[in-house]
Amino acid sequence: MSPRRWDGRIYLGFVLLVTLHFYVRPRIFDGRAAPDFLFVALMVIAVRARPGLAAVAGFLVGMISDVLTPASLGAGALAHTVVAYTAAWGRAVFFPDNLLVNAGLFAGGVWVRNAIVLLASGTPSEQLSNGLLVWAPLQALSTAVAGMVLLMLFRDWFAIRLEA
Amino acid sequence: MIRARGRATSRSDSLLLLACLVLSAAVIALPDAWSQSLAKVVRDTVLSPLLWVQRQAEEGRTSRSRFQAVQAERDSAALASQSVAALTAENARLRALLDLRARTASTSVPAEVLHQTAPTEGRTLLLSVGAATGVRAGDPVVTPEGLLGVLVSVGTQSAVAMTWAHPDFRVSAVTADGSVLGIVVPSTSTDASQAFLEFRGVAYRDTVATGTLVLTSGLGGVYPKGVPIGRVVGVRSEELGWERIYRMAPLANPGHVAHALVVRTPAIAGPVP
Repeated sequence: MSPRRWDGRIYLGFVLLVTLHFYVRPRIFDGRAAPDFLFVALMVIAVRARPGLAAVAGFLVGMISDVLTPASLGAGALAHTVVAYTAAWGRAVFFPDNLLVNAGLFAGGVWVRNAIVLLASGTPSEQLSNGLLVWAPLQALSTAVAGMVLLMLFRDWFAIRLEA
Repeated sequence: MIRARGRATSRSDSLLLLACLVLSAAVIALPDAWSQSLAKVVRDTVLSPLLWVQRQAEEGRTSRSRFQAVQAERDSAALASQSVAALTAENARLRALLDLRARTASTSVPAEVLHQTAPTEGRTLLLSVGAATGVRAGDPVVTPEGLLGVLVSVGTQSAVAMTWAHPDFRVSAVTADGSVLGIVVPSTSTDASQAFLEFRGVAYRDTVATGTLVLTSGLGGVYPKGVPIGRVVGVRSEELGWERIYRMAPLANPGHVAHALVVRTPAIAGPVP
């Protein structure tokens, strides 16, 4: 059993993130560098769940991503699984309640996720370097900033609560 | 070593990870037809409400920000269309003189582009048109700027287009003056700054000047004739003295396009002159 308690408000947080991803993002910031709110939701789950459950959540989020961008079905599932499992496993070495640690987690996670997706989907070399050196850092930055702002605005909703 | 409760990686965690990795690898290994069908089923069922929400958002955004641009384009189109009636009549007379049958008419369906955040976005695009509008896999997708791609999968509420940035994309092309034929493919250059198209299969004796507009040739029956693809920006390579490969700058940008038109191609009984 996880020592981190799942408060009801965190589910509201997930609804908020899904709404941001599918309704607000297309209206405001629609491009390859746009923040990935589903990835933020995945990281929120990963730092609270056991690594196995985080891997399953990563697989599901990755499949959603693949189905919506079917350039190579399965590449997103693979990438999200690896990143979510690593994030859940890595919380043993860092405590992810610090805002900057969370920002680093979002940014690093997005970059690694994009790298795995691009490699697993057989991306041509020129698109690979472009994706890894230009678009992935931009999306990592935007996701980290958006994630930090959300964590600051909804601190209570996303706070990690340890069981007594 | 004593591990903190809840932080240790247990055997069940490892098994779940392994299961997810194996499933992911299995999905990657699926044949294209199967994976497209699987994606279509999930889009039409589980993700249907989320796509509906995104479609509303896209329509809301574009209906505000693009209204003036669309109005200006409509005015220009209305002005240009004043001469269409005369041209149509002249074309009909000439066809009658040459004993040619009438050109097959094609209609188009407007679609919103539902951009996603995956790094492979741009190679494929999700469009807000479904089978109910009459579109089908194989229909070309164009923008006011030029050719964008072709539909590869059509669901009930959405469709997936393969754009010119996809490694599998191919289109038969011709220069604007009709003198040089070739095949346009995505660039395989290793230079990141040269993410362009390539105009391949041009005979060594033919020279294409920089800036030349390249259009679809209509050969192959997938893409209609005369849709702009891009402009030649230089010679990429010369293959052993028998072929030149030209670099092309595409006209339509899959990363920024918000609207597209799906051209519904009617079944053609025979070649159109």
